[in-house]
Amino acid sequence: MKLDPRAKMVMALCLSGLALVYNSPLHLLLLLAVTVALLLSFRFELSAIGSYLKPFLSLMLFLFLIQCLFSPSGRVLLAVGTLPLVTTGGLLTGAGVVLRIVVVTAAAMLLATFSSRDFILGLVQWKVPYELAFMVFIALRFLPVFRDELVNVVTAVQLRGVDLKKVPWGQKIAMYSRLLFPVIYGAMLKAQRLAVSMESRGFRVYPRRTYLRRLNFRFVDYMVMLVFPVITIMLIVLQVS
Amino acid sequence: MAFLEIDQVSFTYPKHDKPVLTEIDLQFDRAGITAVVGPNGCGKTTLTKLMIGVLQATEGEIRLTGRPIADFSLAEIGRRVGYVFQNPDLQLFCGTVAEEVGFGPANLGYEPAAVAERVGFYLDYFELTAYRNTFPMHLSHGEKQRLAIAAVLANEPDFLILDEPTTGLDAYRKRLLEDYLKKIARSGRGMILVSHDTAFVDRVAERVIVLENGRVIEDSRRKGKAADEA
Repeated sequence: MKLDPRAKMVMALCLSGLALVYNSPLHLLLLLAVTVALLLSFRFELSAIGSYLKPFLSLMLFLFLIQCLFSPSGRVLLAVGTLPLVTTGGLLTGAGVVLRIVVVTAAAMLLATFSSRDFILGLVQWKVPYELAFMVFIALRFLPVFRDELVNVVTAVQLRGVDLKKVPWGQKIAMYSRLLFPVIYGAMLKAQRLAVSMESRGFRVYPRRTYLRRLNFRFVDYMVMLVFPVITIMLIVLQVS
Repeated sequence: MAFLEIDQVSFTYPKHDKPVLTEIDLQFDRAGITAVVGPNGCGKTTLTKLMIGVLQATEGEIRLTGRPIADFSLAEIGRRVGYVFQNPDLQLFCGTVAEEVGFGPANLGYEPAAVAERVGFYLDYFELTAYRNTFPMHLSHGEKQRLAIAAVLANEPDFLILDEPTTGLDAYRKRLLEDYLKKIARSGRGMILVSHDTAFVDRVAERVIVLENGRVIEDSRRKGKAADEA
């Protein structure tokens, strides 16, 4: 199926918005099914979602366990004395958090089904200033770079002899939070260098930009951009009320 | 038994048809300096990444001290084999230069005094003492390279793999590195050096492996080099 990039952006926004509103694993599973079906219709390779999520599996597991332990409700499945450890409500909340991350990631993959040039062009034709559109594109473009940096750091730490699997959770969290600062700061330095590189190559040298190509909406794009937000708003209203 | 054995290893990157490495058969002892040379894209870095378990061979097997490398965790490999990445930015992750050098020894359980002594020695040797409290990403490329090497050497591994260690180093610092690598070789530890710096390779390497199009086309030994120079 071919759609205008802007229609896909609207789809991604609606699906992510719904993922944030829904808490029940059943709703989130349905949302995931819709997102996956859309990705398949755009011939997106689903294994990419797995590779994006892989570095965050331990974090997702951690969030799942935290939610299981600290959101007790419903039937008690496991208890230590009178203290409930695992409850049906806790399990559902944990599953909901994990599913929400998966849905948001999968919805973001919709943006990977068209070229970066189309992404900027789409935003510019929506009257978003070029600088802002480019900035959003760079932010998206840098997400995988940022993920790779985290993977590199984790690899480098292990190659210095630290077995992260054997480090107790408390120490592990302290270590990760300590490692996060240099990664973020390193990313900021890269952004600074990128800005210098862009400006030295004439970025924003002229006040007006011209474009060889234009994106044109088709009937199906208008339909998607109408139907998706309407359904999303309806579902949100139903969920909240 | 060789320290590191590469047995009929081939490797193809996912979603690629052409193998980067084909039927590589090599053995490395825990002694001497071996250089791996060859043109860009011939598979040198891929080969070293397979040796440290960051990549897994598509075919064949790599063994470390006789055991398949897949049986080791990255940390277990890291304690035995020190690896200096081609791009130092990929392996610097601490808040200061001193922390970077001390990270390995501190996490290997050395006493704080021993860690401090080791940090002092390596910072001094690689002339980084003036930057001990500097954020590593603020260093120049050559300084980062020296820091990456110092941080790996501070772990004192049995074997070293250095991917393009002379990139960004001036002639004087290359000499310092050369002296130190020869010293390590004399202390009975082995190393592999991936380099395009032919002059450096000529000065230090006892064995030179030439890769071309993912295959070993030459594996020769030279006498009177490195560790032999007492």
